[in-house]
Amino acid sequence: MSFLSKLLFKSKAQDIVDDKSGSALIKEDELKRSVDEVLGRSLFVRLVDSGSCNACENELAALSNPYYDLERFGIKFVASPKHADVLMITGCVTRNMLNPLLKTYENIPSPKFVITVGDCPETGGPFKDSYSVCGPVSKYLTVAMHIKGCPPEPEAIILGFLKFMDMIKISHKVSFGS
Amino acid sequence: MDKILINKNIVELNDFLSLVNNLKETGKYLLGIVASDERKFDSKFNIKYFFGGNGIIDEYLVKVDEKFQSISKICPAAKMYEREIHDLFGLVPDGHPDLRALMLYPENWDFSVQPLKKDYDNLVPKVKEYGKYKFKEVSGEGIFEVLVGPVHAGIIEPGHFRFSLAGEPVLQLEIRHFWKHRGIEKVCEGKDFNEVMNLVIKISGDNNVNIAISYLQAVESILNIELTERAKYIRMIYAEIERIWNYVRDVAWIFMDIGFALPAQNLFSLQEELMRLNKSLTGQRFLFNSLTVGGVNFDIDSLKIKAIAETIERVEKVMKECEAFILNSSTVLDRLEFTGKINKKTAEELSLCGISARASGLPRDTRIEFPYLIYGKFDLKPVLFESGDVFARTALRIKEIYVSKKIIGDLLFNLPEGDIIVAYENKPEAYKYAVGNSETARGNAFFYVMADDKGKIFRLKYIDPSFRIWPSIQYGVLGNIIADFPLINKSLNLSYSGNDM
Ligand code: SF4
Repeated sequence: MSFLSKLLFKSKAQDIVDDKSGSALIKEDELKRSVDEVLGRSLFVRLVDSGSCNACENELAALSNPYYDLERFGIKFVASPKHADVLMITGCVTRNMLNPLLKTYENIPSPKFVITVGDCPETGGPFKDSYSVCGPVSKYLTVAMHIKGCPPEPEAIILGFLKFMDMIKISHKVSFGS
Repeated sequence: MDKILINKNIVELNDFLSLVNNLKETGKYLLGIVASDERKFDSKFNIKYFFGGNGIIDEYLVKVDEKFQSISKICPAAKMYEREIHDLFGLVPDGHPDLRALMLYPENWDFSVQPLKKDYDNLVPKVKEYGKYKFKEVSGEGIFEVLVGPVHAGIIEPGHFRFSLAGEPVLQLEIRHFWKHRGIEKVCEGKDFNEVMNLVIKISGDNNVNIAISYLQAVESILNIELTERAKYIRMIYAEIERIWNYVRDVAWIFMDIGFALPAQNLFSLQEELMRLNKSLTGQRFLFNSLTVGGVNFDIDSLKIKAIAETIERVEKVMKECEAFILNSSTVLDRLEFTGKINKKTAEELSLCGISARASGLPRDTRIEFPYLIYGKFDLKPVLFESGDVFARTALRIKEIYVSKKIIGDLLFNLPEGDIIVAYENKPEAYKYAVGNSETARGNAFFYVMADDKGKIFRLKYIDPSFRIWPSIQYGVLGNIIADFPLINKSLNLSYSGNDM
């Protein structure tokens, strides 16, 4: 068991740091405070891949590794759209995925928001001229936020969440009157 | 330019079946079937069958008007290819047991439109329902169905799985894929070779280096480009790093799926370190854009050599610990052994490749069978297991990480001086074609590329290892309990995007 016990005391979670300047982009508690304040401690996200190259999913999965550990901020990828606040979309929207994508959206209770990740859902990416692609996402759903990149790095995705929180904070006051 | 030995033959339709039978008996297996609309200069559709085995690729050309002989009954591996050709070209495989639509869904596509025909006018049918897809049915007392997907519970790509169960054990699994069909082959047509690189690397992002190597092998042989030694070495270094990070992630997921979060997270950290290494080498965590026609885009200097050497040293150390942990833990072994068994006969019939073939005792590794770059200089032996279960596939990955580490070590030590890129003239012979082959972390990546008369792409066909391996899961799960399906699936860890294209 020494293999396991050795691991137990190794913590990697850290502030998200900008490569170039070395300064902290996101302080460990900044995003958490936002999530706490705005959404009562939890932001639940449902992901739909509508036709990606799988690199975007790999980066989203990387958010759960010990370096980023997204759940410490209160942000969680959930299994059912019924539990979600946010529909996160990767990929270029293929004809075959259009229906499942829209059905997933329908099944998320309101209020709900769409966040797109990567260049594909915004423009169709390299696949945009294909006979079997019918994106971009904005043709069908209102996109609250877009996270750029091909693929966006985990840091960029976390920054995106933070920006999204700021945005909600403002619109929250307007639409729910609190 | 790599020389692959290719045996070319033209065959008549009527004696093709017995020929395929003979081929199988001599140990040949299907590498892929490629259709192409060559009516413009040949007045017919060409269907080319590529068989591998014994270090030589055999190519058989069949010329077709509307119908062609299906070989699925004697060569089950051909089934999917024939359905694909039926979808995209409208050619009918005579005697095919299951001609349902494959990648174009009747739920949104009008079948009178066949997008890969050269006279297709680029008009897409309106998105509306044109028909229904019929699933297979299993009936009987106490039998029920469990439907999973296309949208899954976790962060995974879409695919639909339909289980028929009697109690807990799986009686039948039917997979419906191609949700992510992006029509990449068509988009590539009419573009030039370098432009297409951006699409090739996005076929299956996590294997992009190895897939690009296969594509470039085909293109560079069409254009008669001879790479510098240094470029070959660097391509191989990137390819092996990609293999290592893929394997590390795959093993991590296996731990995750059997509820051992601690070792899993340890390996995910290791994966992250490798991705960061990638970024320090090429500015990109997936090594996207690291290769180009005629060479590589990023050189490796002494600092980078040091960084790579240190990281892979640590990878080996962690994997050794991990291996010992697996072998000493009865709870881990209990989940992995005898689960998801794909036996050798099935693997042969379905013409599997990569990890899935080697775990079932088939010595298929493109690096050894059809050596490319400078793999021929290494005395590689295929790592083999016989049991074909989840354990075999896990252990195989760990063992192959050691092999890759050794390869990288040798390459770094002997890295020759020279340029990393050569200039070339983009003047291919009109309608010249070539094939490319490489071993990705999943298996054999096969490219068929044909130039047109203006130096652009006339036809590009890619066969992903996942396309060949997916059907085997339907056999691997039989008799297993449904709760083991995620584990079996992860132990193969196939690409949906590469399969769906
Ligand atoms: S945005 Fe780029 S990385 Fe993400 S799925 Fe599209 S092609 Fe792949």
